[in-house]
Amino acid sequence: MAFVVRSARVPPNSATFEEARQRTLEFFRKACRSIPTIMQIHNLEDVVTISQLRSTISSEIRKQAHITNPKVIDMLLFKGFEELNNILEQAKQRHHLIGQYVIGREGLVQDHRTKDQGISDFLKNFYSSNYF
Amino acid sequence: MTRCIQCTRCVRFASEVAGVQDLGMLGRGSGEEIGTYVEKLMTSELSGNVIDICPVGALTSKPFAFKARNWELKGTETIDVTDAVGSNIRIDSRGLEVMRIIPRLNEDINEEWISDKTRFCYDGLKRQRLNDPMIRGPDGRFKSVSWRDALAIVAEVALQVKPEEIVGVAGRLSDAESMIALKDFLNRMGSNNVWCEGNGVRPNADLRSGYLLNSSISGLEKADVFLLVGTQPRIEAPMVNARIHKTVRANHAEVGYIGPPTDFNYNCKNLGTGPQTLLEIAEGRHPFCSALLAAKNPAIIVGAGLFERKDKDSILSVVNSIAKLGNVVRPDWNGLNFLLLHAAQAASLDLGLVPESDNSIESAKFLYLMGADDVELDELPSDAFVVYQGHHGDRSVYRANVILPASAFSEKEGTYENTEGCSQQTLPAVPTVGDARDDWKIIRALSEVAGVCLPYDNLSGIRSRISVVAPNLLRVDEREPALIHTDLKPDCQQKLSTEPFSSAVDNFYMTDSITRASKIMAQCSASLLSKK
Repeated sequence: MAFVVRSARVPPNSATFEEARQRTLEFFRKACRSIPTIMQIHNLEDVVTISQLRSTISSEIRKQAHITNPKVIDMLLFKGFEELNNILEQAKQRHHLIGQYVIGREGLVQDHRTKDQGISDFLKNFYSSNYF
Repeated sequence: MTRCIQCTRCVRFASEVAGVQDLGMLGRGSGEEIGTYVEKLMTSELSGNVIDICPVGALTSKPFAFKARNWELKGTETIDVTDAVGSNIRIDSRGLEVMRIIPRLNEDINEEWISDKTRFCYDGLKRQRLNDPMIRGPDGRFKSVSWRDALAIVAEVALQVKPEEIVGVAGRLSDAESMIALKDFLNRMGSNNVWCEGNGVRPNADLRSGYLLNSSISGLEKADVFLLVGTQPRIEAPMVNARIHKTVRANHAEVGYIGPPTDFNYNCKNLGTGPQTLLEIAEGRHPFCSALLAAKNPAIIVGAGLFERKDKDSILSVVNSIAKLGNVVRPDWNGLNFLLLHAAQAASLDLGLVPESDNSIESAKFLYLMGADDVELDELPSDAFVVYQGHHGDRSVYRANVILPASAFSEKEGTYENTEGCSQQTLPAVPTVGDARDDWKIIRALSEVAGVCLPYDNLSGIRSRISVVAPNLLRVDEREPALIHTDLKPDCQQKLSTEPFSSAVDNFYMTDSITRASKIMAQCSASLLSKK
């Protein structure tokens, strides 16, 4: 657990939104710089490219774009560094990365939510199984 | 070492119930043993029942013996669908697999016996099954797709063709729920060309007495003269044949038969082969008339194979005049019987699956086959779109454009009406195979995708719909006799052809998609039918 303790350094809070924004950009740069290492240690060359991973990271950051409270941003950044550290320490393994960042959060099951709008419960159940 | 204790129950069964003299006692004293004389097989369609009556297990079921233990099995009390009799059976399953089929006692239908086809066809449930919805690609090969895509394509094609070019055919093994769903779906699409295999063109669905075994199966025991018209009960309905055999043994009833040469296991006079003989009897010129007139309870059994003939109406009117001559239909006795061939037939006629036009197949652009494997597809236009919904990759799959996998009788809850008008229900013994769905659910789902949503979502909903059309189908395990027996049909002007009757069933062991997929049934037909 040594690496957890090492990484769990809480930096001082950001004073302003601008400072928090700067820290976010630093985090993004750090994450992007570690992508080649991640690809190498987790052997991801055949499933994903560097640019795909980079856009995944940016989209994960953009998901929180609406947040303006610097305290919340600091907390999210802390979690982001923690995640990055876990990946670099190989506390997370190859299948974690593939499941979470390559295939996506929906997993292998395709998203039919848009198609399924307006159909009855019977048909929804019918598509999933014979027993309902 | 044999376990046989020489109780000779099997010998008695063979000679008294099955009516074959194949089993007997060889040797005497300590050398006594049961056997068939001189390396012969026991050639009876009821031979499997000796397994049940053997008290020590000396006679065992070859496919089942030593495959499973009794306590591992789950028994499901259900109904047989390989013929129109609806024998009561118990399906013993272990996990996902049907391990054996054994009879249940029902004195009114199958007593305590079942035919070999019923007993041994179950290995067909494991072979040639359809797992996934499939679409035939431009290269002629099937490709697995999701239910979503398959239904979308079927609905799209169905909406493009003209309503009168939509045709639906229910198969031999269809249950009442799926047939009413199919009829409702096609009616909502604007077509009324829906029928069930084996009923022929313009079936008589108006008077139930015109297609049921009116004396009832157990009621046949009261008869003292039988006239079998174009039916070979031994291969069409072995349990009915066992009843006739019992009656012949007990009452010395006389049996006359009109049809192609065939085997009987009781004394039977072959009167002729075609409608000509029938006409002679109707006009009182035939020697058999005296027996018919002297009989107290004469029974005429007409085979459903005649429904497929072109001169069916005139044959039936001749049969009716024989019935009048012999006083066969009386308030206390109705001896004019029709012996159906398939499990779905009676229910389909009760539900009114009667096609609007006689030759709808020739003009069909969208053909929906619900387990129908014996439809003549030669005249189908080559650009017609064929949907096959069923559980086995059987004959019709060769022509199908889309395959929708359905569940077999051992996997679903369904209502079947047998040839005497008794409705019975199957219960699921094993889960469905692969991505298959119950028949009525597929049609219900398709109707919604096509934009003509059917108003029922569950079995009780579909059954309340059936109760509007044919309430007798819901009175389970109760025989609903036909009420009106008088002949209301106008006189038929059709000309009687001289063509002799043909046999309705070529191969007793292989009559539907399940039995055709069965290895045991194939072995039976190879070793038993070639000997004849």
